[in-house]
Amino acid sequence: MSAVKMTMATALNQALHRAMAADDQIICIGEDIVGGAGVEGASPGGGVFGVTQGLAETYGLNRVIDTPISETAFVGMAVGAAMTGLRPVVEIMFNDFIGVCFDQILNQAAKARFLSNGRMDLPLIIRTTMGAGDGSGAMHSASLHGLLASVAGLTVVCPSTPADAAGLLKTALKSSGPTVMMEHKQLYGIDGDVELVLPNVPFGKARTVVEGSDITIVAAAAMAVEAELAVGLLAQNSVSAEVIDPRTIKPLDVASIAASVRKTGRLLVVDEGAAFAGFADAVIAAVTEQAFASLKAAPRKLCPPDTPVPYAPGAENIWLPASPDIVKATQDMMGA
Amino acid sequence: MSLNLLKLFEKACFIRAFEYEIARQCDAGEVPGLAHLSTGTEIADAALADALNPTIDRVTGSHRSHGLALAMGADPIKVAKEILGRVGGLSDGMAGTQHLIAPESGFLTSNGIVGAQVPLAAGAALTAKTMKTGGVGVAVFGDGAANQGAVLEAMNLAVALALPMVFVLYNNGVAQTTSAAFAGGSGSFIQRAASFGLNAFVADGCDIRLCCDALERATASARAFKPAFIEVGVGRDDGHYYGEQQTSTDAENGGGAIRAIRAQLLADGVDALACEQAKNGAENLAHTAIAVALAAPKVGRVELDRWISITGAGV
Repeated sequence: MSAVKMTMATALNQALHRAMAADDQIICIGEDIVGGAGVEGASPGGGVFGVTQGLAETYGLNRVIDTPISETAFVGMAVGAAMTGLRPVVEIMFNDFIGVCFDQILNQAAKARFLSNGRMDLPLIIRTTMGAGDGSGAMHSASLHGLLASVAGLTVVCPSTPADAAGLLKTALKSSGPTVMMEHKQLYGIDGDVELVLPNVPFGKARTVVEGSDITIVAAAAMAVEAELAVGLLAQNSVSAEVIDPRTIKPLDVASIAASVRKTGRLLVVDEGAAFAGFADAVIAAVTEQAFASLKAAPRKLCPPDTPVPYAPGAENIWLPASPDIVKATQDMMGA
Repeated sequence: MSLNLLKLFEKACFIRAFEYEIARQCDAGEVPGLAHLSTGTEIADAALADALNPTIDRVTGSHRSHGLALAMGADPIKVAKEILGRVGGLSDGMAGTQHLIAPESGFLTSNGIVGAQVPLAAGAALTAKTMKTGGVGVAVFGDGAANQGAVLEAMNLAVALALPMVFVLYNNGVAQTTSAAFAGGSGSFIQRAASFGLNAFVADGCDIRLCCDALERATASARAFKPAFIEVGVGRDDGHYYGEQQTSTDAENGGGAIRAIRAQLLADGVDALACEQAKNGAENLAHTAIAVALAAPKVGRVELDRWISITGAGV
């Protein structure tokens, strides 16, 4: 299969272009996703990260809709549109902004299929960004995948590569339920191989990033990249680490993770989300239930401190888990 | 506009009778939670449904929407089963009184969150506009919801995006226990709506002719992509929920609305016997629907397990 190098932003953009060309019920909604609405002489920017570039020019302003800054109204509008036959892709610029429209996600999007007892589909995609590392501060940098995954009825995906981003978006665009697509800001510009046809990546299927035999490291989004970096450093110390990227936060591929832990006997979850009651805790609980007898050491998590994301780079860099932290945590566990 | 007042009268009587049957079932312990009855909005519900086309128009409602769902044509037996938690309800008892969903009748959904149904109707309007169906999205909400951000944002959004949408405010004067006059800062919902750029109308929920006329003009405006707002004065005859101590509204108002339409019918030359027959017929239908629903088995493990088997458990 022929592949080309492209960034995650480009891969997502291409997936959107192809999907919109094939299905005119797909519409995009969000703030500044066209850009320059009502501004004389403005050239459309195609979103603050360029993911929606060229969509309005190709598919028209009836299908690519810039909105007022009213997340509750336009996310709700997207939910209502999904209830009535469209397939909206709605963008929440930063995942921190779900705070202003959470009712429409928590009570409307997530519950509609259940409340209709399956009579109503809700083919909605919420695209949003996550993650720290660029000095954006506490309200533009959080990683809320665990919070969203705790809501029954939502599918939550966190790709770490351009290919997975395109593939998960393709799957979401065929799903009959609501999907939150969380795109890590630090990964938009990173190149990766993407098949020209754009791959299909099913929900609930983890990817083994690196095979190993001593410890299983579970990490999603930017943490998967950090974990992969750590593997090389660990190999120098004769530690063979297996890295599993769940890709889908919910439904979680517990079977693959548990199978890996049965092989390695150790589990470290590296996650940028909540230090308490977050995704890392969910993975550890699920694996402990399924593979307790195989564990040679207590499972561990490596998460940021239980504080909002700090602004100054010197503090933010310490706050974020990085490959040296993963190496240290792994070595601690190997010595245990 | 040729109104079939007798038909609307019959529908209003049906809603009222249905609601009082539900009230009886509350007393008998057959309704799982609290029921927010539509007694007082029967005329408004019937008039609104009359202005809409259920094949292309989509309505969302509040927690108090039994009457609206019935007026739009939702199957009364399925509605009753849903409220009573019986197998064969609209959603097999998974949703209940505050989450009635009957899109096949143009009733998209009611809602347990005050005001949250309003952006959803904007979505229905967007679908109608995008797919060029000629339909409108209609959000029905109360004076309490009128102060919610979701509602105010949706008003602005509808105008900014020229959505075929109608905002229908049922003003019964009190939100749970708090008066509309106390909670509504500006004192005029019409002025507020107009300031968003909505085509704003007002109607009396006790005057069927004026109510139908105003709703007709509001929906016509929306169909021409000029979103509209209409404030309809209604009653809340049985408190926030049935069984609650009545706080402030005139208990005769809803009944008064039905008496008013009956008086109108008599003035139009319809004889009293025909009115009585229509009313009795509607009441019999309501009683039968509830009796049939009550005889159905209660929802339990089978229905919940069916849903879990469809969606799977997350982790």
